[in-house]
Order: sequence, then structure tokens, then C-alpha cells
Amino acid sequence: MDSFSSSLPSSGPSANPDAVMEQIKAQLAQAYAQEFLETVGNKCFEKCVTKPGSSLSGSESSCISRCVDRYIEATGIVSRALFSSQR
Amino acid sequence: MDGSALNNPRLKAMIEEERTKAMANELVAKLTFLCWDKCVTGSVGSSFSRSETSCLSNCAKRFAEVKMMTMQRFTGRS
Repeated sequence: MDSFSSSLPSSGPSANPDAVMEQIKAQLAQAYAQEFLETVGNKCFEKCVTKPGSSLSGSESSCISRCVDRYIEATGIVSRALFSSQR
Repeated sequence: MDGSALNNPRLKAMIEEERTKAMANELVAKLTFLCWDKCVTGSVGSSFSRSETSCLSNCAKRFAEVKMMTMQRFTGRS
């Protein structure tokens, strides 16, 4: 049995669609979270760490915290602008 | 998994819904990536200024227009 079907909750001829969907949703969520983290890390590194020292300074650390919050907020603003605008 | 589960129309519909959601998420992520550079130019504060907020919102909407325009231009309509 290949590794894909053995990782599904039931791989018989009538695999439960809800269980399959739960797996798919979980994997999508995880992939999305990973990509989001990578993007935010890159953007906030660019923004906040302009001259890398031998450790992160306090101001760099708080910049990163604010930056993560702002990026999440920006995602919300963009999402609403795209999907809840009425013309 | 044999083919019978994938022939389930309910499962197909649910997968299609997830696909649509994933595409929407991807568009939001791409636009946030682009618009962040255009709109968050100075230092990062503990909240967005009003001009940053409207820049981000405008950026997303203008992108949608540009996408429509380029398609229309490409297909020869004005």
C-alpha cells in the first residue's frame, strides 16, 4: 500500500468524504501558514534589520513585533478591499 | 485510495470550494506582498496611518482594474 493511501483515515472503497476533506483542509492550512510565515519573515527582516549586528537590538525586536502585526493587518485590508467592495 | 471516493460528487464539490478559497487566499497574499512595498514605505508603527490604510486598500482595487484592463487590451477590446 503506498504511503498516500495509508495516511488517509480510511482507504477502503467508501472513504469518508468528510474525513478526507478534514485532511485536505488541514494540509492546505499548514501550507498557507508556512508560506505566510516565510513572507512575513522576509518582509520584516528587510524593514527592521537594516544593519545586522552581532545580535538583534531591542528596537529591532520591537520593530519586528510591530511589523508582524502590521503585515497581518495589511492582509485584512487587502482582503476586504478585494472581496467586500460594492461597485 | 481507489477511484470510487474521488467520484463522489459531494467530495468533488467540497474540493472545488477549497480550491476557490485557496485561489482567493493566494491572490490576497500576492497583493499584500506587492502593496506592502508600495504603501508601507517609512518605519513600522504600532498602527497604520490613515494614508497607509487607504494606500493598501487602493492598491488592491487598482490591481483588480489593471488586471481587467490588460485582459481587455490583450483580447482587442477597448
